[in-house]
Amino acid sequence: MVFLPINIQIPNSMAKILEGPAMKLFNKWGIPVPNYVVIMDPNRLEQLGEANKWLRESKLVVKAHEAIGGRFKLGLVKLGLNLDEALKAAKEMIGREIGTSVVRQVIVAEMLDHDEEYYISIAGNRDGAEILLSNKGGVDIEEHWDTVKRLFIPLDETPSIEHITEVALEAGFIGEIAERVAKIISRLILCFDVEDAQSIEINPLVIRKSDMRFAALDAVMNVDWDARFRHADWDFKPVSEIGRPFTEAEQQIMDIDARIKGSVKLVEVPGGNIALLTAGGGASVFYSDAVVARGGSIANYAEYSGDPPDWAVEALTETICMLPDIKHIIVGGAIANFTDVKATFNGIINGFRESKSKGYLENVKIWVRRGGPNENQGLAAMKKLQEEGFDIHVYDRSMPMTDIVDLALNS
Amino acid sequence: MSILANRDTRAVIIGGVAGLNAAKRMAQFDFLINRPLTVEAFVYPPEEGQQKEIYRGGELNNVTVYASLTKALEENPQINTALIYIGASRAYQSAIEALDSKGIKLVTMITEGVPEKDAKRLRKHALEVGKTINGPSSIGIMSAGECRLGVIGGEFKNLKLCNLYRPGSFGVITKSGGLSNEAMWLCAQNGNGITSAVAIGGDSYPGTDFVTYLQMFENDPETKAVVIVGEVGGTLEEEAAEWYGAEKRRIKLIAAIGGTCQDVLPQGMKFGHAGAKEGKKGLGSARSKINALREAGALVPDTFGGLSKAIKQVYLELQATGVIQPEPELDEKLLPELPPSVQEIMKQGEVIVEPLIRTTISDDRGEEPRYVGYAASELCEKGYGIEDVIGLLWNKKLPTKEESEIIKRIIMISADHGPAVSGAFGSIIAACAGIDLPQAVSAGMTMIGPRFGGAVTNAGKYFKYGVKEYPNDIPGFLSWMKQNVGPVPGIGHRVKSVKNPDKRVKYLVEYVTTKTTLHTPCLDYALEVEKITTAKKDNLILNVDGTIGCILVDLDFPEYSLNGFFVLARTIGMIGHWIDQNNQNSRLIRLYDYLINYAVKEEREVPDKK
Repeated sequence: MVFLPINIQIPNSMAKILEGPAMKLFNKWGIPVPNYVVIMDPNRLEQLGEANKWLRESKLVVKAHEAIGGRFKLGLVKLGLNLDEALKAAKEMIGREIGTSVVRQVIVAEMLDHDEEYYISIAGNRDGAEILLSNKGGVDIEEHWDTVKRLFIPLDETPSIEHITEVALEAGFIGEIAERVAKIISRLILCFDVEDAQSIEINPLVIRKSDMRFAALDAVMNVDWDARFRHADWDFKPVSEIGRPFTEAEQQIMDIDARIKGSVKLVEVPGGNIALLTAGGGASVFYSDAVVARGGSIANYAEYSGDPPDWAVEALTETICMLPDIKHIIVGGAIANFTDVKATFNGIINGFRESKSKGYLENVKIWVRRGGPNENQGLAAMKKLQEEGFDIHVYDRSMPMTDIVDLALNS
Repeated sequence: MSILANRDTRAVIIGGVAGLNAAKRMAQFDFLINRPLTVEAFVYPPEEGQQKEIYRGGELNNVTVYASLTKALEENPQINTALIYIGASRAYQSAIEALDSKGIKLVTMITEGVPEKDAKRLRKHALEVGKTINGPSSIGIMSAGECRLGVIGGEFKNLKLCNLYRPGSFGVITKSGGLSNEAMWLCAQNGNGITSAVAIGGDSYPGTDFVTYLQMFENDPETKAVVIVGEVGGTLEEEAAEWYGAEKRRIKLIAAIGGTCQDVLPQGMKFGHAGAKEGKKGLGSARSKINALREAGALVPDTFGGLSKAIKQVYLELQATGVIQPEPELDEKLLPELPPSVQEIMKQGEVIVEPLIRTTISDDRGEEPRYVGYAASELCEKGYGIEDVIGLLWNKKLPTKEESEIIKRIIMISADHGPAVSGAFGSIIAACAGIDLPQAVSAGMTMIGPRFGGAVTNAGKYFKYGVKEYPNDIPGFLSWMKQNVGPVPGIGHRVKSVKNPDKRVKYLVEYVTTKTTLHTPCLDYALEVEKITTAKKDNLILNVDGTIGCILVDLDFPEYSLNGFFVLARTIGMIGHWIDQNNQNSRLIRLYDYLINYAVKEEREVPDKK
């Protein structure tokens, strides 16, 4: 499977969805999927077994239906089971705790005996979308990348089935299989377009030649979460975007983020010793970059933007002060357009005071650079913390934005 | 010179309150550079026909809200630019409509969260009709000394600090809105400021890309160098590099690209974009963009902080080669100041405003209400009750415990008098007619007057007069009353009499005189008066209004406040009656005919009108 990196700057737009909902969407658009069920209660599988022949007669695969990376290594994927074994596997998996997340659902699917594995993906680009197609799908697709054939689809255009079939033939599919693959691709294009998908990757698409049955055995689908207002049947939520379950602190900040005007964000990076308490999506990334460029290591990524209320910034501050082993906190930001520096700094100051009273911030140096509405009052209030015994260094707009990182690392 | 927006730009804002705020900010810039108002119309159907107040300095302008863009353009044909501030679900349609409107050349969209497909279609449509769409998620466009579109540039003070009142020599293009402001500042701090700055928005597929704007800057002779601020993801920065390297360009290019930190982040935690999907070639990574730009000849510092030096370096080079002529420093003191609001001047003590009203009892400007200086919560904490709040707000005094007990009893005794009396009956009729609580209680309240409940004030007033003017001469008082007032208020009852006394009066008098140490000259006087009046007629007793009035005078409440006790007490009862009728879901009532004496004329024919 090709890894899809995520975008932290527009986190709400690209939403990876779990296999269950993706299969449901495939079904909706006539893309063949194996039989599957998603369950929360293992006993439900017994009842389903009574009702569904395929559960009794096919080999089954049981997978934790959660956004947990490396499921195979964690024993959260079990292959080649009969119904009893599947039941046992489901019982073992449900309720297991992995980091801060708990396995609450498993997906049980038919393991289709098959003859060949194919690769099909579609991803959007500025002018439309591109189909990638190979008849050498499966786990080794990266090694067979030169077999991949491409088909560009201009925005709002639909390629003819003949045209897709030609590409399939080029990719080495033959005869009826080429025609059937072309048909699946044309449905995939529809699904991609109408469901506001950003990318769909089916690997492998398998075929059992005895009855010419196709099935998408594994799929990764990203939808445009910004488009949810026009999809009444999207009953799913996007999964964690950072390749691992969220920590408790991250979850808390996300809960606050969901309730406020503006936003606060936090991603923890274990092992770092420079904490970021930075403002704005653009500037915050540049602060992370500056730390890395100067040989430092970040303990987190954070941003607050869009003039959030001071209490939300206070909560973010306290969370950041609790990060383990930090030596510096970078309170950085560009010259804000409309975020009130005095008000947001007020939240940061309260957070610092609270943290200090709880015993945090010992031997931690704080570096501040900011501009924007009410910058003079905000910076002056921050500077006053020196009188309260904080090791704090405050700079105004005349200090180049990320140069406080240099100062911190040279101190 | 500038790109995209200039002194001839006239804009319509499509959207509600966020658009209005932007228009106000834009008008501050209009004031700074002394140009006519940029925003000449709003389009927002829910507020059709309203006029929005926009200050350009001290000058108040009214800008009309239209229901449709067509109508707005019909009445304002000079408009050539549209700003989209409407929600993501309607932004696409609005932008298409704007692009299709004849006079409009530029559409810039602040709306965030626009679906990618919509953004892609907008870009395609704009290319087809040969117009420019900027955004989505764009904070705006600034042309120094010419025009501001959106809130780009922040507060008024910052507009001056960034030299935005006059053009400089640097162009700015950024994805991030916050960094557009920072970049404008850097150009002012380390160079001579900007010609134009464009925030293209941080979405995956901006309506217009770096290359298009770079070409515009290349064609603008006043722009000598361009600062671009890009981010990881997509390939717009690589395309900019390709454009810059393709042939000899007149403009110098300086760039900062965010996202290099992704190289060292733990596996899986990448700040990247789907565009970098194939991964192997590293296309779309910050590193690939930086390398491409450097190879094309752009100056790319290794951190954002390094931009300051880079801009300074380019500025000095351009000055040395004579491309940029030094210009005289402008004395910033010559620039106008935003007229302050009355509140601001008052804070500085430079203006006197005669207050419209004066209050002496309460103040809610702090964290909680204060009654005559006392914090409400502190009163609660220290065991004070509602009687004490009445004492404070009606008489500016805290009653003693004894006095509070009396006040409490007066209110308890007067709270309700059954459904038959005018006040309660009025409320009940209203409740039965489906009238809401405040209005139904008001209906009962309007009954309070000379014949119902309104005698407390006058009773207190005249008995107090008697105590003062006829202390030992009750006959004299009575004859003065007869001559000047009429029947003595507070004396007399329709059904009660000496033999059938009013239990409430008896209780109150007994309580006050035997259970408290209150000095009661007025009540004593009224009881003396009663002795004389009841000698004349059995039912001329001191009634409950008179009793209460006298006690309240003895409690030192101002005489004109006395009816307030009846009003307050009865409100409790009237609210009760309204709730009661609603609980029962009572039907509309009308009088039965047999309760009405129809003393009317016989039926007769209407005569012809003369």
